[in-house]
Amino acid sequence: MDRRALLLSLAALSGGLAGCAESEAPPGRVVVPFWFTYGGRNRATLETLVARFNHAQSDVWVRAIFQGDYFEGLAKLRTALAAGAAPPLSHVVGEVVPYLASTGVLEPLDDYPGARTLPLHPALGQAGSFRGGAERPLVVMPFNRSTPIAYVNQRLLQGQPPPDTWQALHDVARALTKPGRFGFGCPIDWWYWAALVGQAGGEVVEADGRVSLGGQAGVAALKWWQDLIATGAMKQPAGRDYNAWEQLSQDFLAGRVAMIWSSTAFVRYLEETADFPVQALPLPHGVRGSVPTGGTHFVLLKSAASELKQAAWRFVSFLLSADSAAFWSSETGYLPVTTEAAQRLEASGFYAKHPNHRVALDQLSVAEPWPWSKSLFRIQREVVQPRLEAAVLERRDPVRALDEARAAAAESQL
Amino acid sequence: MRPTHRREPLWLLLPMLLTLGVFFVYPLLSALQQSFYEWDLLTPARFVGLANYRAILASGELFASLGTTLLVSVVVVVGSLTLGLALALAVHRPGRIAALARSAVFSAYVVSWVSVGLLFLWIFDADAGVVNRLLSLVGVGPVKWLTSTSVAPFTVALIVIWKVTGYAMVVFLSGLSGLPPEMQEAAALDGAGPLSRLRHVTLPLLRPTAAFVAITSLIASFQLFDVVRLLTQGGPVRSTTVLVYAIYEQLFRDLRVGRASALVVVFFVVLSALTWLKLRVFRAQEPV
Repeated sequence: MDRRALLLSLAALSGGLAGCAESEAPPGRVVVPFWFTYGGRNRATLETLVARFNHAQSDVWVRAIFQGDYFEGLAKLRTALAAGAAPPLSHVVGEVVPYLASTGVLEPLDDYPGARTLPLHPALGQAGSFRGGAERPLVVMPFNRSTPIAYVNQRLLQGQPPPDTWQALHDVARALTKPGRFGFGCPIDWWYWAALVGQAGGEVVEADGRVSLGGQAGVAALKWWQDLIATGAMKQPAGRDYNAWEQLSQDFLAGRVAMIWSSTAFVRYLEETADFPVQALPLPHGVRGSVPTGGTHFVLLKSAASELKQAAWRFVSFLLSADSAAFWSSETGYLPVTTEAAQRLEASGFYAKHPNHRVALDQLSVAEPWPWSKSLFRIQREVVQPRLEAAVLERRDPVRALDEARAAAAESQL
Repeated sequence: MRPTHRREPLWLLLPMLLTLGVFFVYPLLSALQQSFYEWDLLTPARFVGLANYRAILASGELFASLGTTLLVSVVVVVGSLTLGLALALAVHRPGRIAALARSAVFSAYVVSWVSVGLLFLWIFDADAGVVNRLLSLVGVGPVKWLTSTSVAPFTVALIVIWKVTGYAMVVFLSGLSGLPPEMQEAAALDGAGPLSRLRHVTLPLLRPTAAFVAITSLIASFQLFDVVRLLTQGGPVRSTTVLVYAIYEQLFRDLRVGRASALVVVFFVVLSALTWLKLRVFRAQEPV
């Protein structure tokens, strides 16, 4: 065997061994199954962090298991909880946290080392993500948190001021529309509607717990979408839920839509995939600036063995270290969840070089907390989401659509 | 052959009985029980009597999803019967080309539903899809195959037809092969032309085969789920929310085990009625 062939075969062998090492835990480690729901680039970034953690210490081995999108993962988690087979660690969307907490399946984190003293961004931890979140037992840790932002094909926007009000956005969208291209696109989705309700000066759930769906603000939000579609300036994406988001990303990348609303989580993906310069912009103001936060929070499941929960917590702490949180944010576009991570990105000149990553961070100054309502996920999934689609697609009277939604919300209360 | 012991047949049947019991009878009885409870999987179940049935009736969900399922099913049955028969008549002849055509048409039937869903997502995309691109060449469209409430159910039906027609064709082919050639010859001697023979001899003799194809494709389209999950997620605006998808939504999206179970019970009743119909048709057609 010549030297070259020997080297090649050794390389292949070591590659094979490394491959085994990623899936097989070395003996003596506490193996922590971790159910996650990140796809594409974000998944690869998470797997890098998992590998770093697994190699950085010799006690714990995190086995990351992909479970589909957020809602598929949540369905599996709840089924597993009912079957008594839940993993010790997973992550869930904010809207379902109050409900899960009320059923007692989430592990209180207050007594875990450092849980209350982590330098979390004030808008992103439990205290800032939920109204009254600070007064409740701590049950979540933020990791992949986001806000909606606007992405625009910079080449097309050139010469126009970035739209900073609803009216300005409508005007720009119309100006950018031409045969074969829509000026604007937005998933007809609860998250963006919640942003619009806030911008129109309303709340989805009032401070006293009443489900108002924004009252007049909710109507204004729906009407704004209807008007944009009626003038032909906005594209209604195909599919539902994340299929619609993905569809819109593809339309944007292919030049079929000039400006879209999506999550800051896609900054890196859109920048790298587009063959045109992508500019991120904050969402416009209505009567005020307002955005909801999104993404997911990490949770430990109470049903797991104590040893597993302790081990899972070590992994969570690792993810929230300045190094990991900054790496995650810079590789994906999700927000840096700790102030340390944000400072690190600033100091290293990352934001100066990648201003699109900063947009969501700056926008956190107008982030609104979600209500701590255990019916919130039902209001989202059952009451509001299907009616938004019906109102926008079938041009239904928005006042009537929301009246019906409020009646359904009263029936859905848990 | 006589069993050496009276219990012997029971032992032989046991594996199948166990499988049926564990995977069919028990879940069904469990669903029947759950349909009288309100349960979210995480908190204790609460007995609510018939409230779940009232809820699926009052919300219009039951009739809406049954209606969508029926609409899709009728289109599928008519489409697969007509196409399956036409294709069978076209390829019911010796020769390599006919054999190739038979295999090609049948191949769609063995493709997994998931692959079919992904394939048609690409084909029927409103902007970038192949179909709309071709239609635009002749100045038609764009057709909103998957984004219009009035078109989407038919798009789903079309995909099911594409998938199951191969099976219908094979069944019709076997039906055609079983027809006695003397009758065709006698009709020909009496001066009947090909069209007349088809109408007065072949088609009446194929009636049992047609009934079989119709009922099996009806049952298959009642079980539709994968394509809907991949292509439309029940939308736009519930226009493709077929019964099985409605069950999935209630259970996994909304965590309403009771309402999902009530839908399962209704679904079981409807499918049982269809199966009873199938058995009746075949008993009536058994050779005398």
